[in-house]
Amino acid sequence: MNLLVLRRKLFDAVMIALSLGATAFTLFWLAWILWTTVTQGASALKLSIFTQMTPPPGSDGGLLNAFFGSFMMVVLGVVIATPIGVLAAIYLAEYKRGTRVAGVIGFVNDILLSAPSIVIGLFIYELLVLPFGHFSGYAGGVALAMIMLPIVVRSSAVALELVPPETREAALALGLPRWKVTLSVIARAARPGIITGLLLGVARISGETAPLLFTALNNQYWTANPGAPMANIPVVIFQYAMSPYDNWHALAWAGAFIVMLFVLTLGIITRVVFRQGARS
Amino acid sequence: MNEMPHTSLPPAAMNAPAKMRTRDLSFFYGAREALKSISLDFLENQITAIIGPSGCGKSTLLRALNRIYDLYPGQRAEGEILLNGENILSPGVNVAYVRRRVGMVFQKPTPFPLSIRDNITFALGHFERLSKADMADRVEEALRQAALWDEVKDILGRSALSLSGGQQQRLSIARTLAIRPQVILLDEPTSALDPLSTNKIEELLDQLVRQFTVIIVTHNLQQAARASQRTIFMYDGEVIEAGVTEEMFMAPRERRTADYISGRFG
Repeated sequence: MNLLVLRRKLFDAVMIALSLGATAFTLFWLAWILWTTVTQGASALKLSIFTQMTPPPGSDGGLLNAFFGSFMMVVLGVVIATPIGVLAAIYLAEYKRGTRVAGVIGFVNDILLSAPSIVIGLFIYELLVLPFGHFSGYAGGVALAMIMLPIVVRSSAVALELVPPETREAALALGLPRWKVTLSVIARAARPGIITGLLLGVARISGETAPLLFTALNNQYWTANPGAPMANIPVVIFQYAMSPYDNWHALAWAGAFIVMLFVLTLGIITRVVFRQGARS
Repeated sequence: MNEMPHTSLPPAAMNAPAKMRTRDLSFFYGAREALKSISLDFLENQITAIIGPSGCGKSTLLRALNRIYDLYPGQRAEGEILLNGENILSPGVNVAYVRRRVGMVFQKPTPFPLSIRDNITFALGHFERLSKADMADRVEEALRQAALWDEVKDILGRSALSLSGGQQQRLSIARTLAIRPQVILLDEPTSALDPLSTNKIEELLDQLVRQFTVIIVTHNLQQAARASQRTIFMYDGEVIEAGVTEEMFMAPRERRTADYISGRFG
C-alpha cells in the first residue's frame, strides 16, 4: 500500500520535473534570442534609432524610415484583410456552417494559410509590381494582407462558431432579421476571439520578409509615399545582416530586437484580451 | 391516440378562445418523426403546461410554434400551426413577424453581451421608432413586468452578463415582453435556477397570463400543477392527454398519464 503511494508520488514528481524542464527549455531559447539581439544591437539601441534614417555604411543612423514603412504596410495589410476576413468568416460560420461549400472554402483557406510566403510575394510581384514597372509600398501592403487574410478568416470563424447556439436562437426568437442578429449579437459575443485573431495576424505579418522582398523592396531614404519602394524592418534586417559593415550589423540586431519585443507585446495583449473575453 | 384531445375537452374549459392551434402537426429531424400528427388548442390568456418524459417531443413542439427550428436545415414541420387563424407554416409567411408575436424564453438564460438596458432596447428599437423618454418608459415597464426593476434600476448601464442566473432569466423574459408579443413560449425556464428564483418566475407567470397566452414546457410536475390552467401530457411524439390541469392531476383519464404523474416512469 505504502509502496503504491510512494510510486505514485515519485511518478508525479518525475512528470512535473519533465514538464517544467520542457517549459524551461522553450523559454531558454526565447531568452537567449532576446539576449543576443540586445547585446549585438547594443551599440545601435539608442533613441536615434527612432529619429534617424538608415545610414550609409560606416556612418551613424537609425531605422526611422524602415519603422515607418513597416507601419504603413502593416496598417494597409490590416485594413484590407480585416473586413474581408471577418465578412468571409461570418459567411462561413453563420450562413454556411456544416455545408459542403463551407468545407471547401475552409479547406482552401487552410491551404492559403500554409502557403509559403515567398510564393505570395512572387504572386503580388506579378500582379502589382511588373505591370507598374516599379516596387511599391502598396504592393507590400497587399502582400501582407494576403498573408493575414486566412489567419483572420480561420480565427474569426472559430470565434463565431463558439458563440452558444442559444444566444443566436434567443435573438432570432425576438423576430429580428438575421443580419441584425449576426452583427449586433453574434459578432459582439465573438469579439474577443476575433480581436485575438487580428492581433495574431498583425504579429505574423510584422515579421514577414519574403513577401516584401518582391513587392516593397527597400528604400534607404525617407518616404511617406506608398506608391514608391518603401523601407521596412524585415528587409533592412535581411540586407544589413548580410552586409560586411559593423554599424549595419548592429542596426540589424537592434531592429530584430524591437520586432521581437513588438511581437511579444502583441502576444501578451492577445492573452489579456482573450482572458477578458473568457471571463465575461 | 388520434382521437383529438381538443374535441374531448369538458365544456367548462372551452370558454376561452384558442389563440394558437396545431392541426395534424408532424415534425421531422431528418427522417426521424419527433411529433406525430398533433392537434391541440392553446387557449387565450391561459397558461398551458406541456409535460412528459425526456425526448417525448415537448420542446420540439414549442420550437415549432415560433418556427425557431427554421435555423437548421434538415428540420421541418408538416400540417398546420394556426396563430389567430393564420397558418404560420404556409410558404410566404414572414417568419420574423411570427417570432415577434410568439416570443420564446429558453432553458438557459441567454443575456446578450450588452448592457442591461440595451438587452431590452436592442429589439424594441428595431421594431418601433421611440423617443428617448418613451424608450426609457418601455424598458421600465418590461423590467417591472418581469419583476426585475427594483434590482437593476440603478445599474441599467452595466453588462447583463454581470447579473445572477435568476436575474438573467428574468431579463430574458423582460426582453421578450418589451416587444409586446401575443404568445410567450417558455422552455423549462426554471430548470437552471435556484428555488427562490423559480418562485419569482412562477409568480411572474400569474401576472403575465392576464395579458399574454403562455405555453410552458416543464419537467417539474409540481410546477405544472401549481402554475398552469391546462396541461398537455406527451409521450413519444404523441399527445396522450390534454385538459384542465386540476382534472388531469386529480383524475387522469389515461393510464399512462396516471403512471407518469405518480412517478412510475419518466
